Amino acid sequence: MFQAIFVNTWPWWVGGVLIGLLVPALYFFQNTALGVSTGYGNLVKIISRSSLPWLQGEKFADTWGWRVFFIAGMILGAFVAGRLSGRPLISRGMPLFTEVLNWPFFAYALYFFIGGLFLGLGARFAGGCTSGHSIHGIANLHKSSIIITIIFLVFGVIAAAFLRTVLLGGGGM
Amino acid sequence: MRKKLCFLAFGFYFGFVLSRVGASDYQVIFRMFTGEDLHLAWVILTAIIVGNLGMRYLKARGNLDRDGRAIAIKKKELGRLSIIGAAIFGIGWGMAGACPGTVLAQIGEGRILALFTFSGMLAGTYLYGYILARWPGVNK
Repeated sequence: MFQAIFVNTWPWWVGGVLIGLLVPALYFFQNTALGVSTGYGNLVKIISRSSLPWLQGEKFADTWGWRVFFIAGMILGAFVAGRLSGRPLISRGMPLFTEVLNWPFFAYALYFFIGGLFLGLGARFAGGCTSGHSIHGIANLHKSSIIITIIFLVFGVIAAAFLRTVLLGGGGM
Repeated sequence: MRKKLCFLAFGFYFGFVLSRVGASDYQVIFRMFTGEDLHLAWVILTAIIVGNLGMRYLKARGNLDRDGRAIAIKKKELGRLSIIGAAIFGIGWGMAGACPGTVLAQIGEGRILALFTFSGMLAGTYLYGYILARWPGVNK
């Protein structure tokens, strides 16, 4: 039992059901739409103390708003999940990527930083990320979210194909 | 403060589930994009269907939240550059094997390289604010 819940990877439907329930639950308990990426604006405001006009808007009026707590909770939840499953406390973390290639550490760091830069910039221009658009938006049958999600997926496939043929030489990963 | 603690708890739940279902695993994400293993695609699809059924249930119950206020569903409007933004996001998703939610789970799990993905996201978010400061109507 412990093994099935805390150690083995859950079947897709268990995770799907539990994630899907978040959408109505957040509306019922907090009248709020599920979303993560806007919270990065709060974090930028906290860290940079920036005077960017975008961060002075109503959305970020409460600098230490609920989004920051949601983000902190997600890190904590995964931390506890990782401890219970017996993962090492610290790992490089992208095993198949780092095992197949033999880059120096800073090259991996730069690669993931650039990936993150695309995610951060792209999410803001797109108006949301996987949770806000793909899960919350499509669950509410918003056409804009369906369009955005298709583009997310198409370019994810292109990036993975590129990565596979150019960086990994067509090898399996 | 109560609201914030509630979101801390919901976040905890979300991070825990993402980690347990393997959504924070680079291999799982990469294999979804190469089509070798659709585990994560099924997770997302199930979440969408369950989310939709849950919203229908709330509607059938009168569309009210716990405090009796009408539920206001937030709809995202697209801007001029939203499609390009989504394409950039998709490339980042495929490159880093993470999205803004799962990178948090990766950090919680102790995956060091996720800290760089996370820093990149902060930089990208800042860059967006910077671009908006220079060209305010760019994504209207």
